[in-house]
Amino acid sequence: MLTWEFPPRTIGGISPHVYYLSKSLARDGVKVYVVTCDFPGAPPHEVLEGVQVFRVDSYRNPSPDFATWVYLMNVNMQKEAATIIKDLNGNVDILHAHDWLVATAGIGLKHVFRKPLFVTMHSTEIGRRNGIHFDYERMIHETEAWLTYEAWKVICCSDYMVSHVRWAFGLPPDKQVMIPNGVNADIYARLDKKDLVQFRRKFALPEEKIVLFVGRLVYEKGVHVLVNAIPRVLEKVNTKFVIVGNGYMKEQLSGLVKTLGISQKVLFTGFVDDETLRKLQTCADVSVVPSLFEPFGIVALEAMAAKSPVVVSDTGGLGEIVDHDIDGVKVYTNNPDSLAWGITKVLEDEKHAENIRSNAFEKIQEKYNWNRIAQQTENMYKSVLNEYAKSFWAIKGQRSHSFHETKDTLV
Amino acid sequence: MRVVIFSWEYPPRIIGQLADYVKTLASQLVKHDAQPYVVTYHDYLTGEYDEPEGTRTFRVNNPVHTHIGVLTWVLTLNQEVERVTANIYYDNKRQVSLIDVHEWHFIPAAVTLKKALNIPFVYSVESLEDHRSHGANTPYNMAIKSIEWLGMYESSKLVVKSGWMRDEVFRLYKVPSEKVNTILPNSTGWLKNILTVYKDVAEKNHLGNS
Repeated sequence: MLTWEFPPRTIGGISPHVYYLSKSLARDGVKVYVVTCDFPGAPPHEVLEGVQVFRVDSYRNPSPDFATWVYLMNVNMQKEAATIIKDLNGNVDILHAHDWLVATAGIGLKHVFRKPLFVTMHSTEIGRRNGIHFDYERMIHETEAWLTYEAWKVICCSDYMVSHVRWAFGLPPDKQVMIPNGVNADIYARLDKKDLVQFRRKFALPEEKIVLFVGRLVYEKGVHVLVNAIPRVLEKVNTKFVIVGNGYMKEQLSGLVKTLGISQKVLFTGFVDDETLRKLQTCADVSVVPSLFEPFGIVALEAMAAKSPVVVSDTGGLGEIVDHDIDGVKVYTNNPDSLAWGITKVLEDEKHAENIRSNAFEKIQEKYNWNRIAQQTENMYKSVLNEYAKSFWAIKGQRSHSFHETKDTLV
Repeated sequence: MRVVIFSWEYPPRIIGQLADYVKTLASQLVKHDAQPYVVTYHDYLTGEYDEPEGTRTFRVNNPVHTHIGVLTWVLTLNQEVERVTANIYYDNKRQVSLIDVHEWHFIPAAVTLKKALNIPFVYSVESLEDHRSHGANTPYNMAIKSIEWLGMYESSKLVVKSGWMRDEVFRLYKVPSEKVNTILPNSTGWLKNILTVYKDVAEKNHLGNS
């Protein structure tokens, strides 16, 4: 498993994704080796819940810009991973890369060891930037295209991303696989709920409802849409809006809040620790995800796991998670009126909110359960290993094609 | 002996004096039954494989066409060098004696192949970033120097083309003198000396099998 982020190094959604996927695969008896970037205080090698984690020195080479840093980091990652695989006598069945950030390492290892390469495309450059405008972006776009070309299967976490990736790189449909992202409901169940009332008072008055936003304060997350919806919600319900996260739009957003005269109803917390976040999600009467672009929308799943009713914009993978009025409320994207309507609807109708809560919780346990996702991933590995064993390219005489009996190693 | 030569320039694509040097080296190796394979960058004119004068020559193209600099161009070309060399390795019963990498461009590929497939490599130094950039220390130059350092560290032997360069390699990278072989091009016994280095590296391969 090649990834540029793995706990405790957490930059975005890839880190928890790879963590839970590896852990669940390991629990099923798959030997998982994760090769990732180093992090201050984290050991270069450790076994974490059955997963072998190797952290490579990723800031060894001075780099003029981020993309060059990525490619240089891949030189070291590839070197370390090659050593690990050689020490296993080449007995690795599968290489699994996450995003273009580990593209060159994954592609190089595929060819020198002749093993099938999988890639999970969590996002794309063309999606992040809403188009390709500069050479820098085109270079990354072409690296992503190359990675999907070299991969045996390209995994996406939502139907939306499957079609987006197909459009972006022109992939044949039979090369693509949809396996959803998951969420771990246990962390919310295990939460210490004794002092929750006390905890809630730090954020809102007892008579106020809490509406929660969690995410980076950047344009594509649509926080400005939420802020514009606030006055309309306040006309009907006494509510405190808690906005968790940081980003380049922070100044602009607090300016907007002042202009609208709603400063006393909005709280910007900045970045908070995991426990505070989980407690907030548990306390929230509504969790809002107003994104303009969202490949998946893990934060909506987290809210569902925390039994907080969700109001989401009907876009990308986010719209696929929620069935309108059954396990959440879907509103029009980039539309403050619609968003205000959705929030008010849930806040005013306790019975409806309760229904949504329980349906949503049931859904995440069934569909977005990591054990189930690991099982789907394993089935995909197995079927590809059968194809691989029959190919001219396969290395004969290694254990590689008996994955289903021994549940062999993968990196 | 089967030796794979990496060079970013090779005729007909001539950038500097390295192209002709590598060409001469390869054709001399053919005459001495050393089975050279050359892996180089493509040139739009020659195909991806040919055998001029018995030198098996592979030319690779970069799958990523748009670049922001030489570094990103080089770092995305290395995987194609690895792919072609791995093919040579698997097509020849895993018998590749060594790699001779000229200049820094394909050092990442040589390092990976060493770690993955136990193929040792010789780093033939033509010039150094410190001289090319007149001692500039921008992150860009430093990045190239860090790749040169990687090559000096991971290679089994260094080949330099002058006594001056031997001293510079020591001054800039602190490479122990016993690792450095000074072999002047055009000198008598030039090829014999290179073959001696190759044999030495191939026979004393401490990496294991291969």
